[in-house]
Amino acid sequence: MIPILGLAAGVLLGLVFDPTVPLWLQPYLPIAVVAALDAVFGGFRARLDGIFDAKVFVISFVSNVVVAALIVFLGDQLGVGAQLSTAVVVVLGIRIFGNAAAIRRHVFRA
Amino acid sequence: MTSARPAGGVRSLGASLLDDVLAETLDPAYAQAAAARAARGEQRAPSRRGGQVLVALVMVVAGLLIAVTYDQAAAKAQGRQEVRAALVRDIQARSELGDELAGQLDELRVEVSRTSDDLLAATTEGQRALDALARAEQGTAALAVTGPGLLITLANAEAEADDDPVGGTSEADPRGRVQDGDLQLVVNALWAAGAEAISINGQRLGPTSAIRFAGEAVLVDFRPVTNPYEVRAIGDPDALAREFLLDAEVQSLAAVSLNFGLRFDFAKEEELSLPAAGSPELRSAELLDTRRAAGTDPTPGG
Repeated sequence: MIPILGLAAGVLLGLVFDPTVPLWLQPYLPIAVVAALDAVFGGFRARLDGIFDAKVFVISFVSNVVVAALIVFLGDQLGVGAQLSTAVVVVLGIRIFGNAAAIRRHVFRA
Repeated sequence: MTSARPAGGVRSLGASLLDDVLAETLDPAYAQAAAARAARGEQRAPSRRGGQVLVALVMVVAGLLIAVTYDQAAAKAQGRQEVRAALVRDIQARSELGDELAGQLDELRVEVSRTSDDLLAATTEGQRALDALARAEQGTAALAVTGPGLLITLANAEAEADDDPVGGTSEADPRGRVQDGDLQLVVNALWAAGAEAISINGQRLGPTSAIRFAGEAVLVDFRPVTNPYEVRAIGDPDALAREFLLDAEVQSLAAVSLNFGLRFDFAKEEELSLPAAGSPELRSAELLDTRRAAGTDPTPGG
């Protein structure tokens, strides 16, 4: 329950204070969000599986976001930023789907 | 790795990568941590206060990320719309100004020509100049004309029903569009067929008119004309039609337009009226010998 409240609080904070993001960071925000979603779904599923671990969750979240942004940054430097973004989104998207399906099986038993 | 899957061969490498991506949706670290705990004999993860706070903090960060990204995307879309609206307003204001100036120019030109007519009509030399001027004006499309002729319509191919409607940004096949070259071809064929005056979408063509392409718009004398293109040509309709249709290039254009779905019609018209060409520029002027007529010969050069 507390994590969900945290998520809601974060969304509210972001909408209310509307922090400005430095320009150089802006291209990596969408990909970072997808990576963060992947970590969040993974954590939720692990919790339902009964194997949730705070340390693993925090580390996977931070590394997911950083690595996703880094990959896209590297791609931008090499001139394949768009393609690498697509690759990251596809892989993370598949994982989010898989985890969402597992969560659904837990919640609805179907 | 391949030896473990005898039927796989080379394919199994790629397949196993896909299998991994599809099957392993949960970070294996969770399972490892759980296994390590089980090995240590603990039943569940100890729900320490620090861990919970950390998780909550991370979730706050996640929410913040989502909200900020959403804000950014929304602001970007809105900004684009505002810029677009501002540009449209700018364009409208400028073209209104342009129309106004063109109107002023027309008035002034009428005034100038009336004054010069009055002056020239006073002398025999002036009379001759006036006659020459009238002939020149005929040739340079400086006068509006009416008469029978041909009306030729060229239009882009209609979007096909089975075109993919999802890819909204996908360009229509450029071969299905009327190009500047097509219009040039039609106009040249009409001149060759003996047309006396030609206009495209109400833009009269003079001897120095240019038909060009800029981006996706066809420009006639640097003014954009849009699909469908109506080419009006004044001349004997029967002779014009005969000569026009015999032109080899016109025939090939007809074949091309049939292939790519362009519209290419023509009709004989009893009565066509073409406007005067806009703004002939004064390009050359020479001093007359006589001291009396010290002005310049306002022969339009445009």
